[in-house]
Order: sequence, then structure tokens, then C-alpha cells
Amino acid sequence: MSSDQDHLQETDTEARFEFKKEEKSAFETEKGLTEETVRLISEDKDEPEWMLERRLRALEQYQEMPMPTDWPGQPDLSEVDIDEIVPYIRPDIETRGGAEEWEDLPEEIQDTFDKLGIPEAEKNALSGVGAQYESEIVYQNMQERWEEKGVVFCDMDRAVQEHEDLVREHFMTTCVPPSDNKFAALHGAVWSGGSFVYVPEDTTVEMPVQAYFRMNSEGMGQFEHTLIIAEEGSEVHYIEGCSAPKYSAFNLHSGGVEVFVGENAHVQYSTVQNWSKNTYNLNTKRAICEADGTMEWVSGSMGSKATMLYPSTVLKGPAATDNHITIAFAGEGQNIDTGAKVYHNAPDTKSTIESKSISKDGGRTNYRGLVHIADGAEDSKTNVECDALMFDNESTSDTMPYMEIQENEVDVAHEATVGKIGDEDVFYLQSRGLDDDDAKQMIVAGFIEPITEELPIEYAVELNRLIELEMEGSLG
Amino acid sequence: MSTQVHPDISEQQVRTISETEDEPEWLLETRLDALAALDELEMPEVIRTPGRTWTNLTDLDYETLVDPETQAEEKEWVDAEGAAVLPIHEAVEQHPELVEERFGSVVDPQRNYLTALSTALFTTGTVIHVPEGTAAEDVKIRTTMNSRSLFNYTLVVAEESAEVTILERQSTGEAVDGHRYYSATVEVVAGNNASVQYGSLQNLSEETYNYQVKRGHAADDASVEFIDGNIGSRLSKSSVETRLLGEGSESRIVGAFFGHDEQHFDIASRVWHENEHTTADLVTRGVLDDEARSVYEGVQDVGSAAWDTSSYQRENTLMLSDESEADASPKLIINNHDTEASHSATVGQVDDEELFYMTSRGLDPERATDMLVEGFFVPVLEEVAVDELREDLEDLVAERLRN
Repeated sequence: MSSDQDHLQETDTEARFEFKKEEKSAFETEKGLTEETVRLISEDKDEPEWMLERRLRALEQYQEMPMPTDWPGQPDLSEVDIDEIVPYIRPDIETRGGAEEWEDLPEEIQDTFDKLGIPEAEKNALSGVGAQYESEIVYQNMQERWEEKGVVFCDMDRAVQEHEDLVREHFMTTCVPPSDNKFAALHGAVWSGGSFVYVPEDTTVEMPVQAYFRMNSEGMGQFEHTLIIAEEGSEVHYIEGCSAPKYSAFNLHSGGVEVFVGENAHVQYSTVQNWSKNTYNLNTKRAICEADGTMEWVSGSMGSKATMLYPSTVLKGPAATDNHITIAFAGEGQNIDTGAKVYHNAPDTKSTIESKSISKDGGRTNYRGLVHIADGAEDSKTNVECDALMFDNESTSDTMPYMEIQENEVDVAHEATVGKIGDEDVFYLQSRGLDDDDAKQMIVAGFIEPITEELPIEYAVELNRLIELEMEGSLG
Repeated sequence: MSTQVHPDISEQQVRTISETEDEPEWLLETRLDALAALDELEMPEVIRTPGRTWTNLTDLDYETLVDPETQAEEKEWVDAEGAAVLPIHEAVEQHPELVEERFGSVVDPQRNYLTALSTALFTTGTVIHVPEGTAAEDVKIRTTMNSRSLFNYTLVVAEESAEVTILERQSTGEAVDGHRYYSATVEVVAGNNASVQYGSLQNLSEETYNYQVKRGHAADDASVEFIDGNIGSRLSKSSVETRLLGEGSESRIVGAFFGHDEQHFDIASRVWHENEHTTADLVTRGVLDDEARSVYEGVQDVGSAAWDTSSYQRENTLMLSDESEADASPKLIINNHDTEASHSATVGQVDDEELFYMTSRGLDPERATDMLVEGFFVPVLEEVAVDELREDLEDLVAERLRN
């Protein structure tokens, strides 16, 4: 493992995310959203009729729903004008549905993912990798030994063709219907790319599978859809990474994630989000967890101009468990509004939510969360802990939890603290020979450690590097 | 937009209320402005989550609840040495400048639809004035509502370095068929280094819909403390708030509620830290039985000028019944990093081990549960400085447990 760590530390992380490539595409839609656009996307993908119908119904719902504007303290979305967004760009690649060798990709795309360190990570630590460039998965590969066990890891567009029954049953039906919110409806209309993961009964995928999402073009929207089905007794860890270079116009990312955790299955979904600071990141992620199943969400939100993301778990079966670990870092001009939602709909269900947020240079973080314990979910237990660290007087740190408890035989606890970086801690570290910046970085690293230790080492290192970058130069 | 439930109130009715008491022009204007604003004003804010509204105020039939012309009550005042305690209309006559200056200075008379309704229609109230440097005796006010609807107003002004404790109790007297409506606005002004403790005990009949706003302004080194006990009413929406405007000011807001049957309590404690070295402590404890429902919102808002802030909030709800519901949203809004802030909230049932311990000592389970409920309220009762309020609250809790 140490070699990966060295590799990542040697790479200039900033350069890895900030570079941009010339925009080159095979097909792109006009800006804006019309029925025509939706039909074009579906046609370009040669989709079955039912998927087109779902898209068109989602489009109708999108048009009927108002923009969310009345959430207390929510990020300003007035700039998000869908008529200024190019919703669909198919990059210029020959193999639809993703090449299986990096060498088969056009050089500039290959170079992009090289710089992001994806092929390197694949060699060392992953069971499978998918890479999305603009609206399409361009690379997808999984180690043969998982394929032999019946594990499926492919891009979502291919899944519509090759696993039609499974997709038809699970795609935006019970988990995230388009009616859930305006951006879920938008997503349902124009989704493209993303991953499909299927893990058969009693199968454990020991190393994580990863998808990496990259937006390269200015003013585009990325709407990838991820569907994970983990059958009874199975286990899988899915990692998602995201980035985009910064342009002057805004970009929109509105992904959809649906996870079905079977009985006694275990799914971990980890995200390190580093969208450029002109990106609006408005996602809907939800899991439905059957009896004795476990869902774990690990999220690091570093990038974007504004994020509204509240991964949700519905604990549907008795003794199902949910764990949320979330970290948000907001610097200058960023508004990171994130949190968690858990619905305890069965007895003996448990959830824990651990949130850490850091705000500096005028950035705003908000923990917004909902825990709902339904009548009949007796002996349920939930524990929520939110800690926030503030660097300066220009920044904002909000905490807005909501608890709805309809059952009396429960154990519900919520705790939150907000504080500044302790002068005494900084002084202590300085007296041990660290300079101010290093001392503060060390304090932040310690603050988020409970979260980084849940991530595979490469990602923990990555997250720490990103935080160091955020903190460089602006302190002291 | 309150098109939904416009009570049939005429300008003439408002003028009649004002003329009966021979009110000065400014107060009549304030009332008429509030009346005119009703069409534009929104209902008080309620918390919404996806698919759910925590308190529904729009379905109430204000048309039948509000009857401006038949307001009736009994009010008892206990004279307190050191404080001027006057019915609102006597205060308007005797201290015209004081009342005109302070009326509406803390609670916006048009804060929302229901507050404006109260401004337009209030017929009774109390002004408590404590002069500079005076430590007054405890002030006790008891209001018994005898009509369909009653609108009450209270103003507390404690001048520099004054000290006063006020206990205001509300209950229902003569029976009225059907539902009733009680509304109260309380404004507290604490001058530099002044100290005000305002305790309220609401025990209205369970046909009564109850809307109350209590708000204080604390100047430099002032202390504003609220105690808000809610036992009665069918539905209560009560907001208790302090703005810490002065350097070194502090506030404590203590809440206690005990709901049963189909009672609904929507309780909010809010504090704004707006200056340096301010401290706040919000503590609420509630018990729910039968199909009762509680909604709690706590807000600790630290402004960017509020250096060296300490702010704490605790809320605990005990659920005695499977049919009850407890909703809570403790919020932190922090805009200054030189802050130490925390909040915690818990919901749970009577502790099995404690119950087991007590029953193993020979107590029957029912009596043991009652004792645990009484014990649950102890941390908030300890905050109550007025013996009478504490004893009243204890009695009402005990009475509810017996039923």
C-alpha cells in the first residue's frame, strides 16, 4: 500500500484536477431542455420504448415542479438556468459503453484519467473501474474473477440493453422516483452514463469497484445514474470520484444513485467530490435496506460552488443498519449544504450519522438532516453527531437537524458542537516546531480522522491532500 | 396570504375596542394598520419536511374562533413593591410616553397574521415598569379567560440595574361551547445591567387554540430569563425568544410541557447573539402521553459581531405512549468563529432499568413510572426561581399523572 501512497503524494494534486482539455465531441445536444432533446438522447442511445416513456414522464414532472427556494438557509440556485446547460455530450469515442483497455481511448481522454491517477489505482486496489467523460462511460473494466461469479459492473446505458428486466424493475421506480424533487425529475429526463452494479447472492466483492466522473466541457450538465443491486448476503464497496476543470460559466451535476441492499447484504458507497468551484452539485442518492442489511454512506464534499446532497437510507427490514459518515469543507464562495436522511420503518433498526464540517474564507457549510422513526419501529436506535470547525469570522457554519419520532420504544440522541480552531492547540504545536499553517493542517487532519479512517488508504490520502490544498496560502 | 380563514372583523369593531378604552390616536392607528395588513400577512412559520407539515395552522376556523366583541376575562394582580404593575389602559394614561415608546419595539405588531390579529383586537394586558436600580418584589398576574376568544398583551420594562421576577398564569373559567382561541404577546425590555425573569404557566382548557409570542431585548450586561410551562390547550404554538443586543448580556430559556390525549404543542426557543461576550442556555423538557404530539424548534443564531459567544441548548422528550409523536429540530446558525456552541436533543421512553430497580423495591409499576416522570422534570424545575411557579407546575404534573 505504501507505494500507492507515495505515488499520490508525489503527484501535484492541484494540477491533476485543474487542467482542462480541448472540447471534442461526437454528438451534443443543443442547450436547454425540450421534449426534442430528450427524444434525441434516447434515440442516440437506441433505448427501448419504456425508457423513453420514463424520460418523457420525468420531463413533465420536472416542468411542473417549482425550484426549491424556501428551505431555510439553502444555497442560492437562481443562477441555475437549465436553458443555459448542454445536457448531453457524447465524447468522440468508437466503443460505446466503454473500452476495456485504457489504450483504446483517445489520447486526450486517456491522459485525463492518467493525470487523475485512475489506471494506477485500478492496478493496485480495485476490483473494477468505470470512467465517465462528459455524458458517457468511456472505460469500464472488472477483474475476471468477479465476472465469473456473476458480478456485473457495467455502464448504465449498456445495462438498459443487457439487463433490461433488472433495470426496468429498479430504475427510478421505488427508490428515487422522478417525483422526489425537481432535480431528480430533471435527472430522470436527461440521465446518461453512470454505473450498474449487480452482486449475486452470498457473493463478497473484496476490493472496491470505482467509477470516476469527469466533466470537461464548459456549461455542460452531467446526469449519470448509478444503480446498485446487492442480493441477499452479498457485500460490495463502491467508490465514486468526481472532478471538473473550472470555467467561467456554471456547470450542473445532478446525479442519481439508487442502492438496493438485500437481506443481510452490506453496501458501502464512498464519494470524494471535488467538482470545480463553478459547479452546482444537486444530487439525489438513496438506498433501500432489507432485513439485517447494512448501508454505509461515506461522503467527502470538497468541491462545487453549491452542493445540496442528503444521501438517504430507508431501513425497510427489521434489524437493518445505516451508517453515515460525512465531511464537508467550504472555502471562499462555496456553499456546501449536505447531510443525511434516515427512515426507520421497521423494528430494531439502527442508524448513526457522523458529520464533520469545516468552513473558512467566507464559505458556508450546513448539516441538514432528517431522522424519521415510524410508528411500529420499536427498539430502534439513532445517534447523530455533528461537529463543525470554523476558521474565521467571514465563514458560516449551520446545523439544521430534523427528528420525527412516532414510536416510544426508541433511543434517539442528537448532538452538535461548533467551535473555532483552538489557539491553545495551535500554540502547542508551534511550540513543538511546526509553523502556523502546518499546525492548523494537523488540527484539521485530526478533526476529520474518524472519517478518513473509514476510507481506503488511497482516498484518505487524497482527501487529506485536497484539504491541504484548500488551506495552503490562505492562512496566517 | 391568508385568504383561507379571514375572520369577519370590521374596522368598526377595532375602533369600538379602542374608543371604549379611550385610547390615544397612535394606538388606534397601530391597531388599524395591523388589521389592514391581515390580507398580506402569512401565518406563523411552521416546520416542513418532505411530505409533512409539523403544525397545521391553516385549517383552523378562525371565523368561529375569533369573536372580537365578547372578550371577557378575570385578571388578578398582586401588588409588588418596587414595580408599577398597571392594566394596559391605565398604563397608557399614566405613562403615555413609556408605553408609546416601547409598544411594538420588541415584537413586531405585524410579525405574522396571528400577531397582527392580536394587535388589532387585544382588550386586556399589563404593563410592568421597574425604575432604575430597583429590585422589585415578585409580580404575579393571573388571567382567567371567560369568552370564546381573548387577546392579551404584556409589556415589561426594567430600567438600568432593575431586577424583577414576573409570574403570569393563564387558565379558562366559564365554559363555552366548542373551540376557543387565546392569543398573547409579551415584550420584555431589559436595560443595562437589568435582570428580568418572566415565567408563564399556560393551563387553558383543552378546547382552546393558543398562540403566544414572548420576546426580550437584553442591553449591556442584562439578563433575560424565560420560563414557559405548557400544560393546557388543544393546540399551542408558543415562541420564546431573546435578542442579546448588549455586550455581556445573557439569556436562559426554560421550557416544560406535558401533553396528553390529542394535545399538540409547537414550542420554539430562539436566541440571537448580536454582541460580544454573550451567553445563552436553552433547556426544554417535555413528556407526551396518549396521542399527544410535540414539535420543538431551538435556534441559536450567532451573528458576525458576536465575538466570544457561549451558547448551549438541550432538549429532552419522554414518550409514555406508542401513539404519541415527538418532532424536534435544534438549529445552530453560526457566523462568528469565536464561539463555543453546542446542542443536544434526545427522545426516549422511561428507562427500563430504573423502572426495574424501583419495582424491585416494592413500588407498583404505575407509581414508579409516575415518579420517574416527576423526576424527569426536576432539571427544569430547578431553574425556576419563583416557588409559586415551581409548585404550580409540580402540582399540574402530578394532577396529570393521576388522570
